[in-house]
Amino acid sequence: MSSMRLAFSSDGLRPLSSLAVDERAVVADVHAHQAGRAERLLALGVTPGAAVTMLQTLPGVVFLCDQTELAVERSVADAILVRREER
Amino acid sequence: MSCHVVAERAAASHKLLTLRAHPLRIALVGQPNVGKSVVFGRLTGRYVTVSNYPGTTVAVTKGRALVGAEVCDVIDTPGVNTLDGTISEDERITRDVVAGPDTDLIIQVADARNVRRALMLTSQLRACDKPMVLALNMIDEAHERGVSIDAPALAAALGIPVIEMIAVEGRGFSELRDALPRAARPHVPAHPHANDRAVWAHQLTERVRRVSTLSLAYVQEALARATRRPVTGLPILAAVLYALYLFVGVFGAQTLVKLLEDGLFGGYINPAATWAADRFIPLPLVRDFLVGEYGLITMGVTYAIAIVLPVVATFFLMFGFLEDSGYIPRLAIFCDRIFRVMGLNGKAVLPMVLGLGCDTMATMTTRILGTPKERLIAILLLALGIPCSAQLATIMGILGGISFAALMTLFAVVLSQMFLVGWLAARVLPGDRSEFILELPPIRWPRLGNLLTKTRLRVWWYLGEAVPLFLVGTSLLFALDRFGALVWIAAAARPVVTGLLGLPPAAAQMFVMGFLRRDYGAAGLFQLAHSGQLTGVQAVVALTVMTLFVPCVANFLMMVRERGLKTGLAILGVVTPVAIFTGAGLNYVLHAFGVQF
Repeated sequence: MSSMRLAFSSDGLRPLSSLAVDERAVVADVHAHQAGRAERLLALGVTPGAAVTMLQTLPGVVFLCDQTELAVERSVADAILVRREER
Repeated sequence: MSCHVVAERAAASHKLLTLRAHPLRIALVGQPNVGKSVVFGRLTGRYVTVSNYPGTTVAVTKGRALVGAEVCDVIDTPGVNTLDGTISEDERITRDVVAGPDTDLIIQVADARNVRRALMLTSQLRACDKPMVLALNMIDEAHERGVSIDAPALAAALGIPVIEMIAVEGRGFSELRDALPRAARPHVPAHPHANDRAVWAHQLTERVRRVSTLSLAYVQEALARATRRPVTGLPILAAVLYALYLFVGVFGAQTLVKLLEDGLFGGYINPAATWAADRFIPLPLVRDFLVGEYGLITMGVTYAIAIVLPVVATFFLMFGFLEDSGYIPRLAIFCDRIFRVMGLNGKAVLPMVLGLGCDTMATMTTRILGTPKERLIAILLLALGIPCSAQLATIMGILGGISFAALMTLFAVVLSQMFLVGWLAARVLPGDRSEFILELPPIRWPRLGNLLTKTRLRVWWYLGEAVPLFLVGTSLLFALDRFGALVWIAAAARPVVTGLLGLPPAAAQMFVMGFLRRDYGAAGLFQLAHSGQLTGVQAVVALTVMTLFVPCVANFLMMVRERGLKTGLAILGVVTPVAIFTGAGLNYVLHAFGVQF
């Protein structure tokens, strides 16, 4: 899986990990390459349509998804695809 | 309100009040850290530990509650994010409870802010085909952060009672009790796919929830930010550890211990007990058993109450404060990379830090980890390197009095051994680690009431757990001494104790005690050090070995319960030689470099 390729794909999707601190977006899709990853994220509310805000990127990625603050390792943040907030 | 609704209610309440062969069984279910245990405590009057991080409850607790005129069984369950797919061990426990025949009614407890996630769970709970009530808890925090919920609209959409609550303040409970007879199966469309559930939950949430950008929780949010960012977070961590050292290591282990050991026990209790024994007990054997060198009072009770208790109490107080503030999970962000080398992920910081309270409890908390391999490594590292509060007590008591460098040497050696063993275990053991995904709880002001209750119960628990073992241990030592076996053990252990580790022969018996409970052995070392029988280097070596030992009999039994006898023995077989050889190596190095503390 290459998230870089996706970052520049025509449908405007980019990995969550590419967001700058304080940048907002909306979850579009979650790559399910790793067993159980998509399920776990889904259960925590990282679902298509959920609003996300990047809170910090180092040493790990921390973001706000709807009303939940989540800390994840980078590979997980690479697998969450987001699009720019509509409006 | 139509007659139809009234009739329905009458039918529903009739249903609740029918005679049953057993009391109505109500399960409290919900996401982690939404306050199920607080609701449980208020309903049943039974206290279960309440903290501010996901995974405080990892086992089922049962209690009784009065609803109207009926006595009900209430079950508190570990928090769940999902009930199907790959789930962790604590989630499986909850699934078995709610899906099984032992639950008649479900109260779903939800964080009012996070209605969307709660509804996804509601949708899964629908499959259990049981009447439900939805309790929206922490409605005050939701308001503070600009979130408001249209509860009547949500109730109408779901067809079940929806109650707004502030459980910690006891608000919403009469409404909750009144609503139980109206519990119903929620109107949730059948969703075979998790994605459809998410879409449904999202759309319903959009209809019933308003989120404004206005937040009144400035201070908490600023603290939340400061504790997770490295620039501010690492200095805060250092400050927290230093405060812990001052409160537990200096105030608890030195000031309070001195007061109790020299003042209360040395000045009053032990002389009085000795005087009374001399006067009233004619048998020298019994006299020695009570107040002799290995006497129940002069050794057993003195160790437990004067040396260990003050530190355990101060530690539990400070630790409870950290737990309730929501600080501990934030450390996972800093630890994730280091833990990955040991085959774990940042989430393992929870059982590791809890181990500082009690390794036995922490061994149970490893249930929150994702894979069997992670659980095994975490249990191994807990047994190997994490000193529990009682032992931390004696370490700080002894080394704090020698020098700061001595204390740091011990921690550096123990941490590096944990790192090494973890690194090896990650490579040798089969299986995978799971990815690091952790929910961070909000920063909250701890409630004094909960803090004091929790500390009091933990201190009682310590007394109930440790004192009997201290007494058994003392009796054992007394018997060994009487039959001359202590001399024999000391002689047999001499090559290791005096040879390899360079300790005085008297230390051998402390290791015998250490097999029972590390802190008991360490308390013995404390007295040796106090009476000037240990040099600084000897104290560091002896305590390092003791720290690396398996914590206590209770911890060993818990490992066997959680992972089986074979694994338990294997861990013992790894940990014991590692402990002894590390001590030998340390002794050699310290002497080779002529270090003196």
